[in-house]
Amino acid sequence: MELLVAQLLNGLVYGVLLFLMAAGLSLIFGLMNVVSLAHGSFFMLGAFLGLAIVQVTGSFWIALVLAPLAVALLGIVMEVLFLRPLYARGHMDQVLLTFGFTFVFYDLVQTVWGRIVLRLPTPAILQGTVDIGAGVFSAYRLFLIGFGFAIAVLLWLLLERSRIGAMVRAGVDNAAMAAGLGGNIALLFTGIFGFGVALAGLGGVAAGPTLGLYPGMDTDILIPAFIVIVIGGMGSLRGAFVGSLLIGIADTFGKAYLQSIALFLIYLAMTVVLLIRPQGLFGIRYADAPPSAVARTMPPSTKATRAVGLIVLAVLIVLPFGLPDYPRALIAEIYIFAIFAMSLDLILGFSGLMSLGHAAFFGLGAYAVAVLGVQFGLDAWIGLAAGVALAAAGAALIGFFCVRTGGIPFLMLTLAFSQLVFSVALKWRDVTGGSDGMALAEQPSFFGFSLSHSLVMYFMTLMFFVAAYLGLRRLIDAPLGHVFVGIRENEPRMAAIGYPTLAYKLVAFTIAGAIAGLAGGLYVIYNGFISSDAVYWTASGDILIMTMLGGAGTLIGPPIGAAVFLLMKNVASSYSEHWLAIIGTAFICCVLFFPGGIWGSVQKLRGKAAP
Amino acid sequence: MNILDIEHLNCAFGNLIVTDDVSLSIAEGERHVIIGPNGAGKTSLINQIGGQLRSKSGRIVLEGRDVTGQAPSRISRLGVARTFQRNNLFHNLTVFENLRLALTAKFGNPLDFFSVAARDQVLAAHAAELMRKVHLDGQGARIARTLSYGEQRQLEIGIALAGKPKLLLLDEPTSGMSPAETARMIDLIGALPRSLSVLMIEHDMTVVFSVADRVTVLYYGKILATGTPADIQANARVREVYLGMAH
Ligand SMILES: Nc1ncnc2c1ncn2[C@@H]1O[C@H](COP(=O)(O)OP(=O)(O)O)[C@@H](O)[C@H]1O
Ligand SMILES: [Mg+2]
Repeated sequence: MELLVAQLLNGLVYGVLLFLMAAGLSLIFGLMNVVSLAHGSFFMLGAFLGLAIVQVTGSFWIALVLAPLAVALLGIVMEVLFLRPLYARGHMDQVLLTFGFTFVFYDLVQTVWGRIVLRLPTPAILQGTVDIGAGVFSAYRLFLIGFGFAIAVLLWLLLERSRIGAMVRAGVDNAAMAAGLGGNIALLFTGIFGFGVALAGLGGVAAGPTLGLYPGMDTDILIPAFIVIVIGGMGSLRGAFVGSLLIGIADTFGKAYLQSIALFLIYLAMTVVLLIRPQGLFGIRYADAPPSAVARTMPPSTKATRAVGLIVLAVLIVLPFGLPDYPRALIAEIYIFAIFAMSLDLILGFSGLMSLGHAAFFGLGAYAVAVLGVQFGLDAWIGLAAGVALAAAGAALIGFFCVRTGGIPFLMLTLAFSQLVFSVALKWRDVTGGSDGMALAEQPSFFGFSLSHSLVMYFMTLMFFVAAYLGLRRLIDAPLGHVFVGIRENEPRMAAIGYPTLAYKLVAFTIAGAIAGLAGGLYVIYNGFISSDAVYWTASGDILIMTMLGGAGTLIGPPIGAAVFLLMKNVASSYSEHWLAIIGTAFICCVLFFPGGIWGSVQKLRGKAAP
Repeated sequence: MNILDIEHLNCAFGNLIVTDDVSLSIAEGERHVIIGPNGAGKTSLINQIGGQLRSKSGRIVLEGRDVTGQAPSRISRLGVARTFQRNNLFHNLTVFENLRLALTAKFGNPLDFFSVAARDQVLAAHAAELMRKVHLDGQGARIARTLSYGEQRQLEIGIALAGKPKLLLLDEPTSGMSPAETARMIDLIGALPRSLSVLMIEHDMTVVFSVADRVTVLYYGKILATGTPADIQANARVREVYLGMAH
């Protein structure tokens, strides 16, 4: 009984912290139709700034007030300078931009405070314990619960009773308003964004004494906050509150009594909610923002484009002979990630579905090769075939739930499902090796040639890349590819002319998953090693960035993006410790100055030059 | 047999009743026009027939088959095509691609992932014929976004006709058009074969009277009157609440 009460209270503590995150995310989403992946970073920055303020002033309470304000200021600067120019462009660019900021902030925190877990000291008067009848309990934790509920009530009053609240609710009710950004609305947006960020910062400080401070705490709170919003409903304060407490309590009890299957229960709950009420428990159905203008269907190949293709292929075939081992291996890796990026582009650029969980299918393919090879001694090429099949099956299953939504809910759902796959890879250590990973016993051979030779590896990956490119190119030029583009352009119209659009989206998602599985399997054959890191959500973010960097909605863009990303990562990480910040900044600049990605911009220039 | 029978249909947005016990039958080949003031629930009625909006109760029967609550894609494949009040095209695709998507749904193989769609001569011929029908000859390569408003409305109808429907639902096909464009639209609708039944919403009375076999007046979700154009013009209630306003 005592234990039960203690667990319940712990659950409430976690729930309250989640609420501070989710409320801001939900407001920002509901009013501005913006999803900010940097929201977890503001939580983390709030905690660390709070620590700095405590170290200077010695007072937790000053930190609790000042740190959120400082973080809010940062958020406002980010909104005004970087986010505002992107409102007209749709979700993809906003996600890419805020993802870039997560890199920068992570690097900042890691540089200033290091990688060890720090703790914010508990304020003196709350250091003791309180006997609440059913047992003794930390005073600070009790305070947190009360504090969180008080904030919830204040927020509710603010939204329901004040003029600003009425404006906010009008905005939530009428997403179209967001399109015509009047002066007042721009100010309102900035205010809401700053306010939401302040709530995240407040949560960070409040969490400091219980959760600990470390780089990476941003993601650890962001993902559950997303799940809260998916369950509670986007743009609903009530949904954020109920969802937070549900998840907080379920997670705490689950971890205490069910250990590793706890996560599954949460995802199961999420799935059930979404099946019954796709808009979440309290969410309103809303009209999604139009997809950002990605490239149109591609003109089918002509003699000229085919000639250029053949020349490029010839160069790629000759290239490795003049190169030493290391760059050969790097280019082989680029081919693998080019396949991965092209597969994402099939749903992202060509079907208009923005997935932040594509690494799940890469992981399924990779683990199929590794597990079948290591545990069952099966040949890697059989493993590869099994991996493609497994990834396709996984994509069909996950896609079944995800394609019912679109836009940001789709992004959040794919993210949550991929974290489920990640948690399996992490927790099922006997089979997957968890975070330590597993290594293939020996490098397989390719038609009798050993892949330990870099030239063989190069040509093997090149072969698969060319096959994937040509296959996808064919698909995109075929009627099926045009159906995907039609759904991206105007899904209701596609339904009205007779296409069961959900089924077609599922087809696209499954094909993309299968090809991602191929890339994953190849990666294990290439690398000889796989760990749960490869399935972590940042891996999905990386591939999203590669695709958009190169140019979503084109088939040439993703390979270019993969090449630029991996070259930059290799070069930057070998010359500077701050490669995360460098890459993050590069993406931010790319979003701001090259809308449509590298290849998209090239095409636009050519389009201008042509007539 | 009637092409369409609507029986005691009801629909509401929250407390706002937009379809109030509506019953309506459309004979094969009939041109039926719905008129009524803004907000009368005309678009909502079309949306229920097309499957875009769910009814609260009542039945929608297509050629004797109950299709109430079916998905839009299913309704479309049963031979009901529609246009939208606001142009609802594939704005970033060409006129030809717009039509080809619509044609592929009915006459092509949308699951074909290997042949090059642009080389399909049969669909190209179909599309060219459609373009002639809706007065968009030779405009195939233009991006839909760059068409004039009136041309976009013609393309709307082209897309709807592509599937060779039995019943065509038109939501204010002439709204926002110049007199010349309106005249072209009347010609276009007048030239449709009689094997095709048409249910259309229209505000312009000259269009109504030059096209309609029968007219239904909708007023706050209720049917006020149904009859020949002459009946409707002579109906005192209608003159009072609707036609009076128009003059
Ligand atoms: N999605 C919706 N949600 C709430 N109310 C709606 C919605 N669509 C239409 N309405 C309302 O329903 C009424 C009927 O609309 P509609 O069928 O479009 O009328 P009409 O086409 O006759 O002008 C209007 O008052 C309109 O504001
Ligand atoms: Mg209308």
